[in-house]
Amino acid sequence: MEIAVNKHSQAWRFFWASTTYPRISLCLSICLILIFARFLPTLVKDTRSDAFMPVDHPALLLSKKARETFGLGDPMAIAIINTGPEGVFNPHTLQLLDWLTSELESIDNLDPEGIRSLATENNIIGTTEGMEVEPFFETLPTTAADAAAIKAAAMAFPLYVGTLVAEDGSGTIIIAEQLDVDQAQATYQALMALASRADLNSDEHIHIAGEGALMGYFGTYIDADASRILPLSATVIIALCCVAFGTLRGALIPSFVVLATVSSAVGLMAALGVSFFIITNALPVVLIGIAVADSIHILTEYYEAAAQHPTDSPRELVATTMSRIWRPITLTSLTTTAGFFGLSIASMMPPMKYFGLFALFGVGIAWLYSMFIVPALLSLLKPQASRAYHKAIIDSTEPEPSSDQLTSDVKREQLDGFARIVCWLGKLTLGHPRSFLLLGVLTVTAGIHGGLKIEMDESLIQAFQQDEPIIIANEAVNKAFDGTYFLDVMVETPNSEDLFKPENLHKIEALQTHMEGHPFVKGSTSVVDYLKQMNRAMHADAPEAYRLPDSVELSAQYFLLYSVTADPTDFHDIIDYDYRVANIRISLEKENYKTIAPVIEYLNDYLHNTFNGPQISAQPTGRANINYEWMQRLSDGHLLGLSVTLALVFMMATLSFRSLTAGLFCLAPIATTIFGVYAYMGYAGVALSVSSSMFAAIAIGLGVDFSIHTVERLQVLITRADVVTDQTLMALFPSTGRALLFNFLTLASGFGILIFSKVVILQEFGICVSLAITMSFLASIILLPAMAKTFQPQFLGYPDNK
Amino acid sequence: MKPLLLLISLLILYPSAGFAEDSANGGDSALPDGEEVAAHINSRDEGQAVSRKLSIEMRDRRGKTRQRETMSYRKYYAEEKRTVIFYLAPKNIKDTAFLTYDYIAPEREDNQWLYLPALRKVKRISASDRGDYFLGTDMTYEDIKLETRVSTADFSFQTLGSCDADGKPGLQIDGTPRTADIARELGYSKTLSCVDSEIWMVRKSQFWDIKGKLLKTITISNIEQIQGIWTQQKIDVENHKTGHSTSLVFSAVDYQSAVPDDLFTTNAIKRGL
Repeated sequence: MEIAVNKHSQAWRFFWASTTYPRISLCLSICLILIFARFLPTLVKDTRSDAFMPVDHPALLLSKKARETFGLGDPMAIAIINTGPEGVFNPHTLQLLDWLTSELESIDNLDPEGIRSLATENNIIGTTEGMEVEPFFETLPTTAADAAAIKAAAMAFPLYVGTLVAEDGSGTIIIAEQLDVDQAQATYQALMALASRADLNSDEHIHIAGEGALMGYFGTYIDADASRILPLSATVIIALCCVAFGTLRGALIPSFVVLATVSSAVGLMAALGVSFFIITNALPVVLIGIAVADSIHILTEYYEAAAQHPTDSPRELVATTMSRIWRPITLTSLTTTAGFFGLSIASMMPPMKYFGLFALFGVGIAWLYSMFIVPALLSLLKPQASRAYHKAIIDSTEPEPSSDQLTSDVKREQLDGFARIVCWLGKLTLGHPRSFLLLGVLTVTAGIHGGLKIEMDESLIQAFQQDEPIIIANEAVNKAFDGTYFLDVMVETPNSEDLFKPENLHKIEALQTHMEGHPFVKGSTSVVDYLKQMNRAMHADAPEAYRLPDSVELSAQYFLLYSVTADPTDFHDIIDYDYRVANIRISLEKENYKTIAPVIEYLNDYLHNTFNGPQISAQPTGRANINYEWMQRLSDGHLLGLSVTLALVFMMATLSFRSLTAGLFCLAPIATTIFGVYAYMGYAGVALSVSSSMFAAIAIGLGVDFSIHTVERLQVLITRADVVTDQTLMALFPSTGRALLFNFLTLASGFGILIFSKVVILQEFGICVSLAITMSFLASIILLPAMAKTFQPQFLGYPDNK
Repeated sequence: MKPLLLLISLLILYPSAGFAEDSANGGDSALPDGEEVAAHINSRDEGQAVSRKLSIEMRDRRGKTRQRETMSYRKYYAEEKRTVIFYLAPKNIKDTAFLTYDYIAPEREDNQWLYLPALRKVKRISASDRGDYFLGTDMTYEDIKLETRVSTADFSFQTLGSCDADGKPGLQIDGTPRTADIARELGYSKTLSCVDSEIWMVRKSQFWDIKGKLLKTITISNIEQIQGIWTQQKIDVENHKTGHSTSLVFSAVDYQSAVPDDLFTTNAIKRGL
């Protein structure tokens, strides 16, 4: 049966009219690309984890307050490790420490007041007559005896063992606070340059770690990798289009739509001053996928039309193509838009919100270009047969084993390798529809079972390959010291000097003891430790005097005594100037969510049940708390976002096909895909993190296209048939099925390239996306015909009596 | 010949141009040289003994303040200068007292004691380095020890030109540490002071750290003649590196009432005022 071309249909006339001035349309479309592209250079990158929270979130405000009060932020940790028998306590290494400490002051973004090392800190020692406060480095050590004296002094100061010096003497550390964490990247590079200038013996190594370094490294790393991988992935997709159609226009037209879509969406972000966040790296990926999908469907239809109507003029051919394809393309765009709208309204995190909004905009642009610009372009080109189709004609001279089972119109279309594959799939599906439905149900069950095993985790450290300098530094530093990842606790009292009250100091001491009992906590420091040290010094260094002073006056006077020779700003990072607010710094073993979450929950329990009261209260703050808070939001937001998105997609599909059953049909492959990926994550132990959680958005964004195209085509085929048989349904495969296979192959290979990324989280992302695309394709092409055959719903055109 | 004529006419028209530059270069023979200025400063009468109330206000970079009220006494002896400071407020450090003997002989270590009423004990404190900060202020021990004087043993001074000394004619002198060791010990690589040339008192000083970065500025104000002695009543110190600052306000300055010698003993600081 020849597919009739109704040249009087409204759609045909519309597209005939819309291609009247193709050159003008083309010029306008190029202008639009240039306008948006003009903003691209103003795009600002924002790789901070703070970006995941609204600026007025209490955790961010508290962290800002802590930063202002104590000058604490995301520090750089510069460790010197000496593997020799004496460790770092030899004149050369100690001089190196002094040199490094002093050079750090010249690095722009480092707070000169926030640099702490043995070379800057004072020792508090007891003498027969009282307490002495003097620098560990009174003079630069030049002999082994000097170095030994410094070792003895440092090791006798409990507060510094594990924090500034390694317990075994093998390392010493410089903690440097940054003035502006947004400049972490440049600061990290300045530190690396400084380290490379250091005069090192063969036993000496400098490692740069700490939260600040991690953030600095991360920004460079992920950007470099994403900008290497994403163009590569785009190239592969375009190259595959070229192979699929065997024509230059088959490759160039999708590229043009991709260019327009990505540059418009990202250009608009830049124009509106929205930053490019870490997860925004996934935006071009999604948009490339959507833009390519639209083009593939148009080109498939175009080449089919060209083969069927070889004598038609280019403009007639285009109007015919578009009159057939406009509906599925519009429907997929509408449902995808609904999906991204859902993501943007359901997500509480700004980057996700923006992701949804700009993806939505990109989908709109892709639709606009597919509807008007691609036809304009094609109407200017001489009709041409696809080389793939040409090859298929030659192939068709050989006997085709399955051709006798196909409908006559399908037979007329020449089958190539791609079509044969999908036809084989079709036969398999229609032969065993119930088995495939059962497989779908099993996938969902596995998804629920596996999904319950999924744990939340996020770690910057885990984003890097094991041989990266930051990983080596991190391991070396964590092995030798108490850790360079901190959870800060801000303790507040109502009035000035309330922190001198013994009852408050004892509460802080008890809190520290409680926290140090947690297996993930490696140590803690606060004003309490300094007061105990001072008390011991005032009692001739008697070990039993390492306890808190017993009166307000004594604490106050110890501080006055300390100030006799010390710098006025010496305690600025642990207690505020009027002794009302203090900071407890808890050292953590690791920086990932699985470590910080239990510690923060353990802390919060203690604060609520034991610590907080009218006279003193505390709350967690700092980087660890910010990360904890936003990861909590990710966990809560993921399911909510997913539900809202699915609901909106369902609504849009229901409205488009004017049937609730249609909505459910479109949703089925997407839901199966999501559960399939959950099953993979659960059983393979992939944690739910920012990167892996984005798969759902992609699965919906791209997956819905597969469903809608399939459902739409099934509807056309079934409605047109007098009697619906397997042959009716088989017609889906060589045409739409073949286009969907192209679509799937290009996307899966394009995003599969991400698996070769250096960034582990991009690899995970690549795996999840490729898996989601594969599942979406299979679910659409297998489940939907199986469901159609089994349930025979009316909306597809099945007769009423069934 | 034309260029020569032009030059002559320019010199006639702008006779002062060349001189002004000379003076700015510090080569002006009309101004006393740096060492001479320093000698004038150091020969000024500071009174043999003085008693005064001293309010100390210290501010951190966020603007939070600590206020200390003290009563202080200072007396010159043949070999040393003795100073005692009794804390009057705030309550938690009231009755704390600080006693110091600064010896003129540079090789002799200074003596310092602090009385802590909470422990009821006088603790001897080892001699401070000259560059150490004094009792939580932005003044170093050396700044405190010198009071209004300058150290010609540590610095060589050079007159740079004139300056505005709080509305009065002043001389700008530049101090350079005589050795690198002195620079390191004091923490200064350079000083620049504006000296009131009528009364030979420093009105404003700037200090650069050993890396050559501007470290702090000391501004002296409320200078009045009290009992015949020019007296500074307010010192503001701003540390540019830390953002911390200190204001010292002197009141009830008395050079004439007797300051008994037994005030400068460990017993006296224990006994209190």
